[in-house]
Amino acid sequence: MKRKKSTKSDLSNQNERKRSKGVSQWNIAWRRFKKNKAALAGALVIGFVFFLAAFDSLIAPYPPNALPAFYQGETRVSPSLKYLFGTDYVGHDVFSQVVYGARSALYVGFGAAAIAMSLAILVGLVSGFYGGLVDNILMRITEIFLVIPFLLILLVFLQVINAVAPSGVGGLSMVAIMIGLFSWASNARIIRGEVLRVKESEFIEASKSLGASKRRIIFRHIFPNVLHTIIVLTTLMIANAILVEAAVSFLGFGDPNAITWGQQLQKANEAVKEAWWEGVFPGLFITLLVLGFSLLGNGLRDALDPRLRE
Amino acid sequence: MLYLIPLFLGILIIVFVASRIAGDPVQLMTGQNPRITPEAKQILREYYGLDQPLYYQFFIFLAQLLQGNLGNSYAIRGGTAVTTLIGDYAWLTFELQLSALIFSLLIAIPIGILSAKKQYSKLDMSVTTTSLVGTCIPVFYMGIIAIIIFGYFLGWFPASGAHSILEDRYPFGSYILDGLWHMFLPAAVLTFATLAPVVLLVRSSMLEVLRQDYILAARASGLSERTVIYKHALRNALIPVVTYVGLYFGAMLAGAPITETVFNWPGVGRLFVEATTKLDFPVIMGVTVFITIMTLVANLITDITYGYIDPRIRIE
Repeated sequence: MKRKKSTKSDLSNQNERKRSKGVSQWNIAWRRFKKNKAALAGALVIGFVFFLAAFDSLIAPYPPNALPAFYQGETRVSPSLKYLFGTDYVGHDVFSQVVYGARSALYVGFGAAAIAMSLAILVGLVSGFYGGLVDNILMRITEIFLVIPFLLILLVFLQVINAVAPSGVGGLSMVAIMIGLFSWASNARIIRGEVLRVKESEFIEASKSLGASKRRIIFRHIFPNVLHTIIVLTTLMIANAILVEAAVSFLGFGDPNAITWGQQLQKANEAVKEAWWEGVFPGLFITLLVLGFSLLGNGLRDALDPRLRE
Repeated sequence: MLYLIPLFLGILIIVFVASRIAGDPVQLMTGQNPRITPEAKQILREYYGLDQPLYYQFFIFLAQLLQGNLGNSYAIRGGTAVTTLIGDYAWLTFELQLSALIFSLLIAIPIGILSAKKQYSKLDMSVTTTSLVGTCIPVFYMGIIAIIIFGYFLGWFPASGAHSILEDRYPFGSYILDGLWHMFLPAAVLTFATLAPVVLLVRSSMLEVLRQDYILAARASGLSERTVIYKHALRNALIPVVTYVGLYFGAMLAGAPITETVFNWPGVGRLFVEATTKLDFPVIMGVTVFITIMTLVANLITDITYGYIDPRIRIE
């Protein structure tokens, strides 16, 4: 009896201590995130690819674009201990090339997402906050970007840039910039919706009646309240940008001087009959990385959105 | 409906400007010919109206577009009318994309409903996991895997093209069967790729609807589970799905270059890739205009379909 009582009071004590300490929203989110196994697995995959990208020259047995198999007459050899993922027609070690591809995928993913999200946040905040004519004009432009056959325009722009300056201006950066410039529209619409929702809240009304400036309301009240949406959208945008870059490289419009997974798939597509390993491994890495970001994004949504809390 | 016109014009302007950044079209047309003289170039320039100011060229382009004239190609089948080229390739693209869309809807809607009905069951978990993974696999990777397994290891389906080259390769000597046989692999891959996001959408939309009060009311008045789900819930759950499919069909058409490259499928997508590598701008413009119009038509059909599903939003 005594024992039971003491544990109970202990528990209530603990609860009180927790409350008095004050748990921030980020702490709550982190606790929820830690419980989500799928999201943790996603973060792990992303971490693994980051590791590959950071130490690529240490992990890969051969230097970039080296032709070890060519000199030993071992082109198009199936996977073995010597060549983990086999070798391709030219004589590259597929494993080394896959490792070097990690950096390109992350670079384009983060670069394109940074550009797209900056545009989306700007358009979403301005459009949602100011409303009226500004909102109308910005939303019409957004609609054009939503209906536009995005991939077609992207291919044309990349090819045109290649034609204007054949040595490849900017290379991968150009691919990232182009993807970013064309994929902000849907996110801008979502952020605008969130801004509209927050704008109606009573605390904004209170802040306004206290005489807060527009700048203060936007950056101090609205932005922090749509931040969780922005974080989730950014994660999913990275996944999407990696997919688009892979598609562009696969079609042969990517940076010819960079080593990318999409490009490896393009070469493999010409020889699926003779060497399945050429395409299977780079594709597997694209899928894993995209899946990692998707899982992380979904996990962050569950953890950060206060409305989804039980 | 009228909002579609400025939208369409906006897209046209973007593509038109892009095609002119690349430089002088006459230079692109005649770059292969070492014996071309500056005078001949000037004549060509005047012939195509390229000596006029840019906005004037754009109006000419628009006027021709209204008459159904998209100009002639520079490089592909040299000088063929772009409308003829598109006419030759468009049907195969439609065949593939539409069949994939229809099959994926037919499969996705029942799976989504079932998954929502038994939320958090083993079935639901495996459906959502598979769908999530499905959305992360690039279509071309899925295609390559399918070709490796079914095209080469098992040898059940041809790996590329829309028809056999030799007539004696036709199954049972039938041209139609041969077409279907070739279409199976690309259509199956595209169906699977389209399936995954639709399943997730149907499921979440169904869950949302099942939580509504009118569903509770329907159940309380003693209707069978079947009636509640298929008559009351499904109609409401389909509204976001219709929106998505309308937008998605445009994305599918724009994604045609990818699927058609993997399977060597002679549709507008491959025509577009070929035209882009050769900087054949009339063809590039033509295909873009074509796909944009199709996207807008799909959006329009979506808007009209709303009226049938949801009487609250009828177009006047």
